[in-house]
Amino acid sequence: MQFTIPMLHSAITIMTPLLLASMGGLFTELSGMLNIALEGLLLMGAFCSIIFSYYTASMILGTLLGIVCTMILSAILASVTLNLKANVFITGLAVNLFASGMTVVLSFALFANKGVVVFDNIPPLPLLGTPELAKIPILGDIFIGHSAFVYLSWLLLALCYFVLYRTPFGFRIRATGLHPEALSSLGMRPNRYRFASFLISGFTCGLGGALLTLNLGAFVPNITAGKGWIALVVIFLGNKKPIGLLIAAFIFGLADAFSNYAQGALNIPSDFILAIPYIFTLLAMIGSSIYANKKGAIES
Amino acid sequence: MSEKRNPTSKNAFPTLKESIGSLLIVLIALSGVIILSFLLSKTPSKTLRYFFLGPLQNAYYFGNMLNGAIPLIFGGLGISLAMRSGNFNLGGEGQIYSGALATTLFALYLAPLGVVGAILALFIGAFVAGGLAGLSGYLRMKWDTSELITSFLISNAVVLVVNYLIAGPFMDPSTSLIATRKIPESFRLPVLLPPSSLSTALFFALVAVIIVHIYLYKTKSGYQLRMTGLNSRFAKYGGINTRKFIVLPMFLSGFLYGLGGGFAIYGTYFSSIKEFSAGMGWNGLAVALIAKNKPSMVIPAALFFSYIEAGARSAMLHSDVTFEIAAIVQSIVFFLISSEVLFTLFEKKRRYS
Amino acid sequence: MELAVEMRNITKTYPENNLRANDGIDFSLRKGEILCLAGENGAGKTTLMKVLYGLESHEKGTIRIRGNQENISSPLVANRLGIGMVHQHFMLVEDFTVAQNVVMGIEPRKYGIAYDLKKAVSLVNEAIAHHHFSIEADMLVRNLTVGQKQQVEIIKMLYRDVDILILDEPTTVLTELEIEALFSSLKQLAKRGKSLILITHKLKEIIAISDRVVVMRQGKMLGTYETKDVNEQQISALMMGKSISLSIKHAKRTDESQPVIECKKITVLRQGQERPLLKDLNFTAYSGEILGFAGVSGNGLGVLEAVLGGFIPVFDGKILHDGNDITNIGTAQLRRQGLAYVPSDRLQIGSSLKASVQENIIVGESRSFRKNGFIDQRQVTKHTNDLLEKYSTKGTAQMPIGTMSGGNIQKVILAREIERYQDYIVFSEPTWGLDIASSQFVYEQMASLRDKGAAVILISSNLDEILTISDRIIVLYRGTRVASFVGDEARNLSKEEIGEYMLGIRKQGASHV
Repeated sequence: MQFTIPMLHSAITIMTPLLLASMGGLFTELSGMLNIALEGLLLMGAFCSIIFSYYTASMILGTLLGIVCTMILSAILASVTLNLKANVFITGLAVNLFASGMTVVLSFALFANKGVVVFDNIPPLPLLGTPELAKIPILGDIFIGHSAFVYLSWLLLALCYFVLYRTPFGFRIRATGLHPEALSSLGMRPNRYRFASFLISGFTCGLGGALLTLNLGAFVPNITAGKGWIALVVIFLGNKKPIGLLIAAFIFGLADAFSNYAQGALNIPSDFILAIPYIFTLLAMIGSSIYANKKGAIES
Repeated sequence: MSEKRNPTSKNAFPTLKESIGSLLIVLIALSGVIILSFLLSKTPSKTLRYFFLGPLQNAYYFGNMLNGAIPLIFGGLGISLAMRSGNFNLGGEGQIYSGALATTLFALYLAPLGVVGAILALFIGAFVAGGLAGLSGYLRMKWDTSELITSFLISNAVVLVVNYLIAGPFMDPSTSLIATRKIPESFRLPVLLPPSSLSTALFFALVAVIIVHIYLYKTKSGYQLRMTGLNSRFAKYGGINTRKFIVLPMFLSGFLYGLGGGFAIYGTYFSSIKEFSAGMGWNGLAVALIAKNKPSMVIPAALFFSYIEAGARSAMLHSDVTFEIAAIVQSIVFFLISSEVLFTLFEKKRRYS
Repeated sequence: MELAVEMRNITKTYPENNLRANDGIDFSLRKGEILCLAGENGAGKTTLMKVLYGLESHEKGTIRIRGNQENISSPLVANRLGIGMVHQHFMLVEDFTVAQNVVMGIEPRKYGIAYDLKKAVSLVNEAIAHHHFSIEADMLVRNLTVGQKQQVEIIKMLYRDVDILILDEPTTVLTELEIEALFSSLKQLAKRGKSLILITHKLKEIIAISDRVVVMRQGKMLGTYETKDVNEQQISALMMGKSISLSIKHAKRTDESQPVIECKKITVLRQGQERPLLKDLNFTAYSGEILGFAGVSGNGLGVLEAVLGGFIPVFDGKILHDGNDITNIGTAQLRRQGLAYVPSDRLQIGSSLKASVQENIIVGESRSFRKNGFIDQRQVTKHTNDLLEKYSTKGTAQMPIGTMSGGNIQKVILAREIERYQDYIVFSEPTWGLDIASSQFVYEQMASLRDKGAAVILISSNLDEILTISDRIIVLYRGTRVASFVGDEARNLSKEEIGEYMLGIRKQGASHV
């Protein structure tokens, strides 16, 4: 099975934007808001990062500015949703629509090109790892030689776990989703924690988006192609736990990588393989609601 | 979504207030167009002229604008029915796509039957789409699984499967498009306004609006559906089988999406082209939100939506802006509608005066 | 004596229904005492305490805490002033441990940002030990009993160095043993100088625990008494108030009376609560009779309503309607078999506020109002207008029912249910929040239904109502039937006497039931 190792290697690259977006989405989800704007935020991050990388001629600065733009968009989303008591679902759709329009409009206005914009001054992302490490059999082939984003996403995942389960802030975020009155009866404001969650979503989506474009050295309209939606699914499949996100994102990444291979070598249509994670998530959701229902039936 | 308003703050003329609010939203959105044109275009006045007048300038543009509204009307109706009953249907994309494919395939298969075959194929497509949405309703009824998430998941998987079917077993090798074979000429709806692609499907869309309106407001089942959505505890107390009104509205919602897909085939596309319906499901949802789930309001909302798109398309062809400013304007409308900022403004003023 | 709290002339009106929940209340709490705030439902006790805890604003009046005038705008301010409140519904995150719930908002930290989970456990365990509670800080709240959850709530407040503690109906969900444990803890706290306010309407508990008792009725303060100077009967009389005189003729059961609804040993359970909500309840409602169920809230009246309305299933026992088994068949089936029912929650269950009056009228209507398969709007409107006129209700058929006054909404509900009744009808708290004239109207309708031969079941915590119109009375206490009175016995019953049964002071012998 010589195809497995390169496949696993590319699965890791593919899963990284999903993992990043789902991490931010995890915060909003735990604080009790269904954040369907991940797609739009991711797209905004993708566009702004490469634009600023181009103008500042620095990928790091560009990425940072891209993150800032994405966080501004998520702050607008949060304040309309929370302060004006709008339906988070509709405002989320609005953000997705806005991002899909705005990125193309700006790309057209700046480069007179609404198709693929290739940026020549942006070098390929450096791949990290030493030859010694890469020599480690199998593991070296799979885990070494990715861009900094990949390793950063793992660090952030650990940080995400730490924040949610080892800081007062994380406990309050979770309490906001589980029982907001418990917080407000002690004089804390659940909406403040929801706002913070949206900002975190903006941060991780900005970073995830940056990987999409910088990896390619180009901006393609709708480059996210539903990755934000998949990130939402990753949260559910990952059972709303950081480690679950890693596994779920990997499943989607693997399905994507495998579908490319299977198409050619095994003659299994790639679309079928890409559909599997959704069906898997659906079954997992049904299973968990049957379980919750049985428990609830005894209680009532 | 629950809009719990204080009963005492109810206006005696909610329709008047709502229409003023909607009008303001339209005005703000259109002034958004003006601002964007001045920011992005070197010839803003030309851009604006084509944006606002382009869709009306000749039969081709006008017809295509109306034609673009047809699937939005079906989708908007479908979403309205689901939302009226207190259910969310996020699976429009997959429902419209699968409905269209099923209609195409059965139209090819049933070609010898003539008109009967055409009608049969249309309903089979609608049933397929309705079944997909109904499944989400069933899951919610049975185990309280969120119909919002399941309809979305099912739709995503279905889109991929339909993609495969179109590009694989049912692909027409004779064209360069990734598409199925074309349905027989006899199944195609007559063109209303040549050279545009506006077909008589428009009439069917209008009939659908009337039927849904009658269903909601004139039949017992529609009444029960609305009561379940307004206050399900009251509906249950009154002896309404509220479980039924989780599954049925979801089914009908998908059914209408499926019809929208079918009519798009019969009227405009004649074959299922890969991803031809991408975005139609979401736009149907947007239309329903603008129409506040009122069937009669779905028509102007769909027209407004397709007018913006047609305007942007015309401005793109004749000036120096791109089509996607339509999406920006639409998103502004969304933000305004969702926040009900304008409505609450009125209410507050009234209360303190 | 030093005053912990002094509230002067507190006035609070709810704008939604223009209800004056607190009308010029003067209230004081001494340092180190246990004070009971007593009164019936809707007397304004909880509102007054929410004002003190910063959860509700008030229009008039001043609040002094330990002598200083304060503006308590939020629970945070209240906490800072040393005021804590234990709510009737627990404010606990079930998936967190006891310690995590207790320290929320003031978590111990290490390295500046990290949550010191170990220290939280040890700090909370210290607090638990200090106050002699029986829980452990690392238990998951989900796995605790109701009594233990309440301990968590109390510890949560004590951990914040609260010295004025408000407990809202703390014993409602507790077993006898848990109540005893709670009371001994509370007495300990008072001994240590904490000042405690218990909102309650349970007389036994007032006598058992309080130093002083404050009685409220209908938003007004009736007085403050040293508990040792008053007895249960006196408090009960104050809480219940004077009878209003409404002349409704009573009926006697005759040979023609038929059993319509029979409940045989029905029991309703809920998990996580040791005490059944209803236990082995037996009764029969006869035609041509108003059967009144009396009780204080939390003693099974609401559960009985939900059972008769088909909203919750019974665990054990049988319900018969005209001899047919209708146990657990659900609301839709009950409706089809003749259930007519005026619910206690007329805004959430009895009506759909955003729907029009006529849409509210035709819900579940057996008559079809259909012409050619469609709803005949003209007939519906005519029917609705006829009813509005017949029940002298102001309004139109097309207006949203939510724009009507509470009394008129109730009239629409009555009209709908009375028009559809076949042989029995259930009324739950039918005059709650209504003025005298509207109440009188409701009573007359009930009496006329009875005279037409209906079996009328009245569920009410309003004693005046029960005594005025019931032909037969059953008293529920803690989910069981503790007394029943028929005919003259019911008519000559005094409020004080029945109040004693309702509050669990007295109980009829088994022979009587």
